[in-house]
Amino acid sequence: MPDGPLIVQSDKTLLLEVDHPSAEEARRAIAPFAELERAPEHIHTYRVTPLGLWNARAAGHDAEQVVNALITHSRYAVPHALLVDVADTMDRYGRLTLEKDPEHGLLLRTTDRPVLEEVLRHKKIKPLVGDRLDQDRVLVHPSERGHLKQELLKIGWPAEDEAGYVDGEAHRIDLDNADWSLRPYQQQAVDGFWHGGSGVVVLPCGAGKTLVGAGAMAQAKATTLILVTNTVSARQWRDELLKRTSLTEDEIGEYSGARKEIRPVTIATYQVLTTRRKGVYTHLDLLDARDWGLVVYDEVHLLPAPIFRMTADLQARRRLGLTATLVREDGREADVFSLIGPKRYDAPWKDIEAQGYIAPADCVEVRVTLPDTERLAYATAEPEDRYRLASCSPVKIPVVEKIVARHRGEPTLVIGQYLDQLDELAQRLGADVITGETPVAQRQKLFQAFRVGEIDLLVVSKVANFSIDLPEASVAIQVSGTFGSRQEEAQRLGRVLRPKGDGRTAHFYTVVSRDTVDAEFAAHRQRFLAEQGYAYRIVDADDLPTATA
Amino acid sequence: MADDVRARTDAELHDLLHRRQDLARPAPADLSALAARASTRASVQRAVDSLDLAHLQVLEAASAAPQPVTAEALAALLGATTEQVAPTVDDLWALALLWRSPEGLRVVRTVGEVLVHPAGLGPSASDLAGRPTAPDDVATLVDQAPAAARAILDRLTWGPPVAVLPAGTPERVATGARWLLEHHLVASVGTEQLVLPREVALALRGGRSHAEPALSAPAPTGDTREPGAVDAAAGQQVTDLLSLVDELAAEWGLRPPRVLRSGGLAVRDLKRLGSVLDVDQVRAAFVAELTYTAGLVADDGSLEPSWAPTPAYDEWQQQPGDQRWAALARAWLLTTRAPHVVGTTPPGATGTVNALGPDAHWPPARGLRRDVLDLLASVPTGLAPRADEVVASLRWHRPRRVPGSVDAVVAAVLREAEWLGVTGRGALSSAGRALLEGRDESSLAAAMHPHLPTPVEHVLLQADLTAIAPGPLAGGLATFMRLVADVESRGGATVYRFTPDSVRRCLDAGWSVDQVLGALGDASHTPIPQPLDYLVRDVARRHGQARVGAMRAYIRCDDETTLGAMLAERELSPLQLRSVAPTVLVSPVAAETVLDFLRENGFAPAAETPDGGIVVPQAGRHRTPLQRRSAPVTATGVDDELVTTLVGALRAGEEAAQYHRDQLASRPGPSLPSTDPTTTLAVLRDAAADRQPVWIGYSDADGHVQRLLFQPERVEGGRVHGTVDGTARTLSIHRVTGAAAG
Repeated sequence: MPDGPLIVQSDKTLLLEVDHPSAEEARRAIAPFAELERAPEHIHTYRVTPLGLWNARAAGHDAEQVVNALITHSRYAVPHALLVDVADTMDRYGRLTLEKDPEHGLLLRTTDRPVLEEVLRHKKIKPLVGDRLDQDRVLVHPSERGHLKQELLKIGWPAEDEAGYVDGEAHRIDLDNADWSLRPYQQQAVDGFWHGGSGVVVLPCGAGKTLVGAGAMAQAKATTLILVTNTVSARQWRDELLKRTSLTEDEIGEYSGARKEIRPVTIATYQVLTTRRKGVYTHLDLLDARDWGLVVYDEVHLLPAPIFRMTADLQARRRLGLTATLVREDGREADVFSLIGPKRYDAPWKDIEAQGYIAPADCVEVRVTLPDTERLAYATAEPEDRYRLASCSPVKIPVVEKIVARHRGEPTLVIGQYLDQLDELAQRLGADVITGETPVAQRQKLFQAFRVGEIDLLVVSKVANFSIDLPEASVAIQVSGTFGSRQEEAQRLGRVLRPKGDGRTAHFYTVVSRDTVDAEFAAHRQRFLAEQGYAYRIVDADDLPTATA
Repeated sequence: MADDVRARTDAELHDLLHRRQDLARPAPADLSALAARASTRASVQRAVDSLDLAHLQVLEAASAAPQPVTAEALAALLGATTEQVAPTVDDLWALALLWRSPEGLRVVRTVGEVLVHPAGLGPSASDLAGRPTAPDDVATLVDQAPAAARAILDRLTWGPPVAVLPAGTPERVATGARWLLEHHLVASVGTEQLVLPREVALALRGGRSHAEPALSAPAPTGDTREPGAVDAAAGQQVTDLLSLVDELAAEWGLRPPRVLRSGGLAVRDLKRLGSVLDVDQVRAAFVAELTYTAGLVADDGSLEPSWAPTPAYDEWQQQPGDQRWAALARAWLLTTRAPHVVGTTPPGATGTVNALGPDAHWPPARGLRRDVLDLLASVPTGLAPRADEVVASLRWHRPRRVPGSVDAVVAAVLREAEWLGVTGRGALSSAGRALLEGRDESSLAAAMHPHLPTPVEHVLLQADLTAIAPGPLAGGLATFMRLVADVESRGGATVYRFTPDSVRRCLDAGWSVDQVLGALGDASHTPIPQPLDYLVRDVARRHGQARVGAMRAYIRCDDETTLGAMLAERELSPLQLRSVAPTVLVSPVAAETVLDFLRENGFAPAAETPDGGIVVPQAGRHRTPLQRRSAPVTATGVDDELVTTLVGALRAGEEAAQYHRDQLASRPGPSLPSTDPTTTLAVLRDAAADRQPVWIGYSDADGHVQRLLFQPERVEGGRVHGTVDGTARTLSIHRVTGAAAG
């Protein structure tokens, strides 16, 4: 029996024993088709999904390679049913191809007639296609290219899009490589994307997704529309592009609630695009304002539903999605696949961290015990008030003070959800507070001060925390806030995981009230962080001085 | 026939008795008796039913052919060569379904009763009292036949040879049938049936008895698998199966599902089992049935019975994987239960079949299972036959025995064999072959041993509160892990997840925190991750914080010294006092006794009501509840007034009675004694015959008896018809209370 590092489970998860001598080889073999789900210390869990298998097909892997990878690296016999299923699933990709024909225009071609018959009979697909040219080909309305791909994926026959892209309006963009260059994995990501035409690059927070975007723009040399989550993010993109490329301020426009500039490179927010007045999306014209050669989607996993609908009409343009995770809380991974494109590059966090591009993080959960009076108040409180009671306990304040004191001199963020609590903390710590109500100018001023090291402590609300970029924060202390979702946590962690000048260890503290719902949310966070492979410890508040010494 | 049997050699008789075992039990007295028994209908039926298609077709051809038969004639009928047919003919003789008469081979007469229409051929024309039609004439006539007649012939040619023409048959068809009858191509049986005579059918069939002679067994085809891959796949399935059985036992040991009143497992419980095992219901039913068959779970026989693992399970669980498999596989091979019928609705039944219930017991399952497996064993090693070809082959081998549901059964057997590792990727595994060869337990286990992953004795503990066993865990550790953590994913490895609930479950089962951490530490090569250590300690910190127990009395006292004195008092030891708090003692003895004991020993306790009030002492004033007193009974004497009244009343009563008697006497007709119904009937019949009126008492709908002078006319069906005062009446005899001639 071969002694491989991989164990294939019957629920289609793959367990990879990381300490095994050939673990890296196995990881490389399965990475194209399996999604990394959990990466704790000894065994990493990958999951094989149809989308993952189709991603692999899109990247040019065939079923034989996948089956071979499983059999070669597996320690035990691989369940036969799983192998059959893998082969069947992969075989479904590419039976249908979208092509551009010089004579007829866009058409759908099949290599398997019964499949074409099946999909043409489907009532949702029928209206999307035109006349049947012959037994293998059917015309497709160019405007339905996206919808058709979406529907085909839904019924399990994903189409390969080989219809090509318009070049768009040419515009010279170069990388300003004087004092820096793309890291190897960023270059690989750019190449992977360019080769595939359209698709998604998955990189962890802080791994330089913006630069991958810049690299792609330099490759396309065409007018570019960049869609980002919010205004602050838009400004960061702008600053980064000015710094890293040959683009000048006049060439970059911002299209947001405040400003409406359309320039060769335009950065727009999701919010402005999805603004509706009297049920009409008023800013849709932007999409056609220029002959864009490239559309970049930042944080694809947060892409709102209306943007998907608009994207369905942009299928002739090159699309680059950037994200830290393909997992969407709303389960619309399939739409990302069919409308933006398959995954073109992926690197697990830990690998990039090991290469020294991300600060290693030490995650500590500090448990405080509520005094008896508060326990009683908690026990008798209405369920909806309990979380607030538990997470805003005053006993947390001295604990936070203790942690702050311990890391005096290191850039530190205190993150919370409730404003009263934050105000009180700020007062006790003598720090400034940034909340959703803080004016943008004030916010940016404080950030700037933090960035240059004038101040080393900020208290921020969950709302503000979402969009900021604090490159030198190396300690984050969370005092309240539910475990919203995996991405939210990834984002929050990303705050402290930005590359540090001196390679210090980043610290992520969560202060939690024992035996309350607060601890339940913490349990989710603990699981997530441990799954991501971060060292995680739980300490009692009383043990704190020795634990962090 | 008897002569034929007597003429057989010992070896031939040995062969016959071996192949028709019913002939040997009870032992026949002599060879004549053997011959007689061999030609009984029951025995012939059994022998014919066990024939394969080749033998059956030859026997059918022989039955249809004129007697005596020859191999040449049969070969012609079957469209085969004599060499092909001859061995089968000899074999049928060896089975004593054919016998050698001085004139030649004959079919045992009873075969004709078993095979009513051999090869779908009707009776010979001579048996139908018609004249046989020469084959040439048939051809000529058929050419001339009208379309409707042709259609009927086409339907009857390859059997069944009987057509029913019920009243209301369309005219066109009826005309066709009449034409056929007129030309003696069919004969009529009874009023509505047509039958095609054997000679006509044979002529229409071109002299052949069977449309598709199948003298050789079909060879199943399919993909050929690498033997190594087959065994590896089998081993992998067995790993899965063993862990499923363990999980079932763990689940049912903890939460035993109840036994339905009709026996079996409720559909809801099967669903739950499916979700616990994370398999579909078909597989869940199979695992449940298999463990039941192997005696690993059973009805616990309690007052409210439930399904629970048996002590045999604990024994089984401690054995190595290969032996555990051997026990399961053997139980499966021999069981007469059919797990695949669970969840289906048998024809004619109202509900679905429950797992572990009596309806899942289906004796033919064992024979069919064996047949399928024997077939798998007969194909070349590594061949994975397709299911439909297995069915076809089974039909060939047992044409008269396969049930209608054979497709489902074969699919189920193949599926179950795969789950059990008897096959791997559809081909018989080497361990499966050992099972079919009937090897003993240890050599069977040895056949599976090399294909099962080596049990591991460690788990990998991770900071995300999972533990991974990178292979099957050895018995004790597996039980512990299932107790302390929930299974999250199964396969070559097992992923366990620790949750506060799972850890608490382990503590509930009596483990201490140090034992849990110690066992985890022993099972892991790496130190216990801090979050896991913290979780276990955190759960343990709260575990058992509140204690619950039952006692019959408590003693509370604010003065701890008093309670201390009570605890120290030797005389109070029968109260088994225990201190649960400085100011509270408890005792399993009833409160009254405790009070008495304390008082006797110089304490001054007060009793307390359940809501904490003091029971007011009522010493020396024990009373019954309030009693209701009844008034005393008194008698009063008889005075004159009463006597006078009484006498007056008596007198009046007597007069009334006399009046009533006079009234009765003044009525016409005789007095009417109540007569029994037989007499009543006789009187009424006589009166009807003589046309004389009778006096009858007739009980009307209200129960009053009327007196009627009735003129009966006729008696029938329990009623009598007649007239009363010239009005026609029909009276029920049972209502006539008495009758007397008028």
